[in-house]
Amino acid sequence: MAAEVVAAVINDVELMKASQIGMKAIGAGLAVGLTGIASGIAEMAIGSAAVGATAENKDVFGLVLLLTVIPETIVIFGLVVALLLLF
Amino acid sequence: MLKPEQMSRLLIVASKDQMAPVISELYRHHLFHIEDFVEAGAQGYEGFKIGTPLSGASEASGDLVKIRTIQNAFSIRSDDFEVKERQNQSALQGLIERELPAIEQEVEDFTGKRSKLDTKVKEYEQKIAEISPFVGIPGDLDLYRGYSNFVVFAGYVAKEVSVPGPHEMFFSKGKGKHFIVVIVPVGQRSVVEGVLQEAGYQAVPIPDESGDPQGRMNFYNEQIVLLKKETVEINRKLDGIKEKHAGFLVACEEILKVQVEKTEAPLRFATTNETFVAEGWVPSVSVETIRPALENATGGKIFFTVLPKDPEHDSVPVEYHNPSFAKPTQMLMDVYSRPKYTELDPTLTLSIVFPLFFGLILGDVGYGLILLAMCLVLRKYLKGEEGTQLLVVLRNASISSIIFGLLFGEFLGFALPWRPVIFSRHLNIGAHATGHGPQIPELMILAIWIGLLHITLGRVFGMINHARQDHGDHRTKAVMANFGWLLVMWGILVMIWSIVQMPYMPDFTKFPPVIMNLNIAAIIGAVMLVTGVLFIARDSGLELVELPTIISHVLSYSRIVAVGLSSVAIAMVVNYISIGMLIEPQLENITITGVLFIILGVAVFVIGQALNLALGILGSGLHSVRLHYVEFFTKFYKGGGKKYNPFGFNRRFTEDL
Repeated sequence: MAAEVVAAVINDVELMKASQIGMKAIGAGLAVGLTGIASGIAEMAIGSAAVGATAENKDVFGLVLLLTVIPETIVIFGLVVALLLLF
Repeated sequence: MLKPEQMSRLLIVASKDQMAPVISELYRHHLFHIEDFVEAGAQGYEGFKIGTPLSGASEASGDLVKIRTIQNAFSIRSDDFEVKERQNQSALQGLIERELPAIEQEVEDFTGKRSKLDTKVKEYEQKIAEISPFVGIPGDLDLYRGYSNFVVFAGYVAKEVSVPGPHEMFFSKGKGKHFIVVIVPVGQRSVVEGVLQEAGYQAVPIPDESGDPQGRMNFYNEQIVLLKKETVEINRKLDGIKEKHAGFLVACEEILKVQVEKTEAPLRFATTNETFVAEGWVPSVSVETIRPALENATGGKIFFTVLPKDPEHDSVPVEYHNPSFAKPTQMLMDVYSRPKYTELDPTLTLSIVFPLFFGLILGDVGYGLILLAMCLVLRKYLKGEEGTQLLVVLRNASISSIIFGLLFGEFLGFALPWRPVIFSRHLNIGAHATGHGPQIPELMILAIWIGLLHITLGRVFGMINHARQDHGDHRTKAVMANFGWLLVMWGILVMIWSIVQMPYMPDFTKFPPVIMNLNIAAIIGAVMLVTGVLFIARDSGLELVELPTIISHVLSYSRIVAVGLSSVAIAMVVNYISIGMLIEPQLENITITGVLFIILGVAVFVIGQALNLALGILGSGLHSVRLHYVEFFTKFYKGGGKKYNPFGFNRRFTEDL
């Protein structure tokens, strides 16, 4: 009887651990995925303006390429959060 | 170093008959940045007028236009042209007068002929397009025309039609639309029109031809082939001319360009009836080379003086002054903005820190070697100045990433056979992955340290810049404000250290609490923070809204780790899919399908690694540059300096003997 209870409790604990790992993975995935979408939305407007500007004046290419990657910070923070969650 | 080239402001005055020797001397030295004279509102120049071009200006520019037209026709670009031997200017000058009109005439004739042939070909193609629908219908083309009692309908319909009354109809089926020819008496015209309209009739013009349609089409096709042959012949002749004269043309262009620039230089000078005044800038070290040269050229009949300069109000042209290894990085500075004359020139720090960042992010021996090889190969093909500079920057970056690859122990995502010398970035990807996994917290702390030091350097530069550029009360305030930003940043850090214990960071948690459970370090940190905020507010209260950027800018350096790790992860996943999942299981027991899987695995490996390399180069480069432009430069750098553009030109194809 007692042995059965102990086994059940151990089983429960292991299940909880496993589900915690799963939750972490989901959290990490959400962190990267949602921030990725956000960066995409932000870069969309900058990118189209950048292409327009480059069409008018080729010299600004370097600068607008940089402006385009500025919102990438958002997804990088997401990635950092995910990495810290997972490891 | 960290400072642009020192410039001196020169004033040259001489009588007008010395203008030509002075101009050619200045041109030869290629050092004098002319300050263009503007008539309206030039102080101290009342009564002066803009000069008139020297004699020969309009002939030279006319010839230059001709040469450039020919060059365009041949698509010759002097940048792509290898210099074989330099030609003598005076010999060429004679040739220009004799040969240029002949070459121009020849080229014009041929290009004129070619465009005539092209129009002919287009015309014939149009005719073929008109005839082609009638090919499916029996009967000659002249049967469609010339009736007074009949009407001919020819065109496309969407479906089959049945025409009432006496008629003759030909129908050829096509895809989606069918070609129809109907001949009816004039009286029935409106009825038939109605029937055809219902079937979605689209009229086709009847070609103005006679004879069998197929025969006519063949005739035109043959004609087109003949015309094309002629065009090829003309192109071959033009290529012959190009081959023969290309060297001559680029050399002529150079000479004429020099001539035009020289003869038009007076347009930038101030003149009176008998004299001219040229103002401009030269590097201070070169003043003593120019002075004797001008005096020699004019026999001493010249007034030459160095004017006092006011760096803040004069727009002093800026020329970089860097050690040679830092010179290619000037390209990255020009993308942002050239420094102002009074500003610190951060090219040197950029040239050291950029490769370090790049290496830390890419940090892989394999990718580094591939990039290095790419740079060395591309060097042969890229001729332009900016292109070569970019390649040198990338070459340095690739060497740095090889070194960091050795330290991280990475080769195309595989682990090198030693333990990572600095921190491990290996992820546990794949079925039999074991081991410690990446040292994320340690790597993050490393990135934060880099950020703290980089931003501190930026703020120190900011203090120097303000001390140099500002005056009076504002100067102290601005310097103190920059110091205030440093105090706030380090104050926050000291407070964090007094609360949390972190690896590779000072630990102030052990001090005994003094008041409100805060220890001495926390109090010192708080004092630093408050003092810093006060310093900032004293300069400009509005700046306080920027305070959160202290944290976001430092955290932004975590991209050094994050971008690097993501590229490691992609490499390892590619390796696992291609080798672990596709190739290895098949090697145990080789079958025919197994060989296919192995080929697939190799393809996945090559494509995946190539993609990751491209992403890695783009990501590492852009993020390293971005950390400079956004996080570093915003602390001290304004830019907007005028480019030093000396009068003259480095000849490549010709020499003045």
